[in-house]
Amino acid sequence: MSEAAPIVLIVEDEKQIRRFVRTALEDEGCRVFEAETSGKGLVAAGECIPDLVMLDLGLPDGNGVDFIRDFRHWSDAPILVLSARSHENDKIWALDAGADDYLTKPFGVGELLARARALLRRPHRGEAASPVVAFGDVRVDLSRRVVTRRAETVHLTPIEYHLLCLLIAHPGKVLTQRHLLREVWGGNNVESPHYLRVYVGHLRQKLEDDPAQPKYLLTETGVGYRFQP
Amino acid sequence: MRTIATIPASGRPGLAGWQRYLLTILACAAMALVATPLRDVLDLANIVMLFLLTVLLVAVTLGLRAALLAAFLSVGLFDFFFVPPRFSFVVNDGQYLVTFAVMLAVAIITGRLTAGLRQKADESATEAARAQALYEMARDLTGALTIEQVVDSTSHFLANVLDARAALLFADSAGRMQTAGASVGVEPRLATIAFEQGRPVDCQPLAAGYAVLYLPLKAPMRVRGVIAVAPADSTLATEALLDQRQRLEAMASLVAIAIERLHYVEVAQRTQVQMVAERLRSSILSAVSHDLRTPLTALVGLADSLTVSKPPLSSAARETAEAIREQSEQLCSLVGNLLDMARLHAGEVTLRKEWQPIEEVIGSSIKLLGRALAEHPVKVTLAPGLPLIEFDSVLIERVFCNLLENAAKYSPPGAGIEIRVQVEEGRARVDVIDGGPGFPVRDGAPLFEMFVRGAAESTTPGVGLGLAICRAIIEAHAGAIAASNLPQGGGCLTFFLPLGTPPVIEEEVAVPQPGSET
Repeated sequence: MSEAAPIVLIVEDEKQIRRFVRTALEDEGCRVFEAETSGKGLVAAGECIPDLVMLDLGLPDGNGVDFIRDFRHWSDAPILVLSARSHENDKIWALDAGADDYLTKPFGVGELLARARALLRRPHRGEAASPVVAFGDVRVDLSRRVVTRRAETVHLTPIEYHLLCLLIAHPGKVLTQRHLLREVWGGNNVESPHYLRVYVGHLRQKLEDDPAQPKYLLTETGVGYRFQP
Repeated sequence: MRTIATIPASGRPGLAGWQRYLLTILACAAMALVATPLRDVLDLANIVMLFLLTVLLVAVTLGLRAALLAAFLSVGLFDFFFVPPRFSFVVNDGQYLVTFAVMLAVAIITGRLTAGLRQKADESATEAARAQALYEMARDLTGALTIEQVVDSTSHFLANVLDARAALLFADSAGRMQTAGASVGVEPRLATIAFEQGRPVDCQPLAAGYAVLYLPLKAPMRVRGVIAVAPADSTLATEALLDQRQRLEAMASLVAIAIERLHYVEVAQRTQVQMVAERLRSSILSAVSHDLRTPLTALVGLADSLTVSKPPLSSAARETAEAIREQSEQLCSLVGNLLDMARLHAGEVTLRKEWQPIEEVIGSSIKLLGRALAEHPVKVTLAPGLPLIEFDSVLIERVFCNLLENAAKYSPPGAGIEIRVQVEEGRARVDVIDGGPGFPVRDGAPLFEMFVRGAAESTTPGVGLGLAICRAIIEAHAGAIAASNLPQGGGCLTFFLPLGTPPVIEEEVAVPQPGSET
């Protein structure tokens, strides 16, 4: 996060939702801008150059995915999507279009701020990233390709290691099944999601304290996976 | 099979045999009359020529048999009226016997030849007309929009061209053939044979008006029905009809293709109507869902922002804000349940089944419930070596959430919840065990009905939709769900999911670290 107050743009058509999101973010020390349609949102984004966008998917002038595509043409600031439950496809489309995370309505202030903080904390492009990622008692040394847990080396297969690298490269970001399958197994295996599930299971067995109730490698059911440091 | 229509009979204009013979006699008599005044002017040889001309004309117009009759009549009339002594068959000059013989021979030969030519010409004209009719029928069938139009074209063709009528039979949903109200008698067994074996069946008619030929309507995809053909008037024409078999088969395949085309037109229309209805239903549901959730989201968020506002509220106001938040969240989950139930009841929920380990959704639902399980530690026990199971992860997560929520709601604070998964009799068995008082001892089923709650008067919130949703989801997965009480106390909700044959996961060779990336 930069020294200056982070700028957050809220694109949401419901006034009362904008109001409490704005209050919560302002209490957190953010500068908040609002827009109620996707068109106005793009204009506002061009003016305020946000560090984070909160986007409702059910906008009156579009489904929000178009906003993400247009915004991604010139900015890679994180986008947090606000969406209703049972709309997994909308979430997947938004994530595939370039959104970073989603929050299911209704949501509390605490949840909202936690997600916003995680996304704002993400290192910006150009900042030196550390070659060592640590979570729980696991250390991943990307430069040496060594994974240790409680100071003991963990043996990972090439696919497991590749998958882990993808997940930890985007802390807090939801990666869709399709994206992970394409990256790890190549374009031909997008229709075999069980591979992904089995390998995530392997990683949990090796890295999580309780594989059945993971703390770091989280499932976003029906959507994909998220690494939560 | 039901009979769609009977193709009516119609007669064909033509002269009966006796009419032809009468005409022949008249023609010969007329020639005798015409020639009588000329017998003084013309030589007898020329009179013979006139009679031969008559035979020729009769052969051309009335056919072979009439020509033969004309030949004998002419010889008789010539002898009686022209050869002396007249008005007697007696002949003075023996030479006339040669004349008679030659005359008869010439008359018969020319008559035969002419009548044969005529018959050939007639036949090819008929052939041409039939081919034309078949072509026209094909054209009509191409444009037919209903089964009735197909039947009309077929009946028109059969009546006009083949002098026959027919009944069209189609398989009903049970695959049986029915022949109600057909004026063509149909033997159902033969129709079934033609339908099932896809081959023509011909038979001796049982009685007048019964079909003599059953042709399967063989379309490219499958046999669509049977056409039973009977001659129009009597059983006499049976042979003639069977001679036309090739043409009838051509007709049958044209009808079959037309019917198949109509079938697919209907399928396409039905699918389109279904799609429109489905789209409407889902757009109504999502509109309702959006309109109900938006204010509730605002309510939850606004109440929540009061509890964390700076400067802090008085503790009483804070409690009120928390209560508002809690109540709004409950309302929201109720709305969610109602909408889910509406979707499931509409029967339009399509399962997105994928092979996956079940512990994954268990983990994510525990994570999702978060605060609601704060006072109830969840213990997950998985039997070793559980296979992958095929299910819709979002819906099964919903089941786990509802069951866990239920367990938490009815357990005293601090009581743990246990989830056990094992394989039992070829199914995956999942138990969710709580530390509560157990389920009221009644027959288990009503528990899973909508709006049924264990304790009717209790203060525990909820309207009893949770378990009904679980049952709908589990049943959509071809599974089963049941409630029981454990002997040591505590309620247990058990559900089963079918195990299929999971896809094979190719093993990957582990390489020692530091390993290389693929």
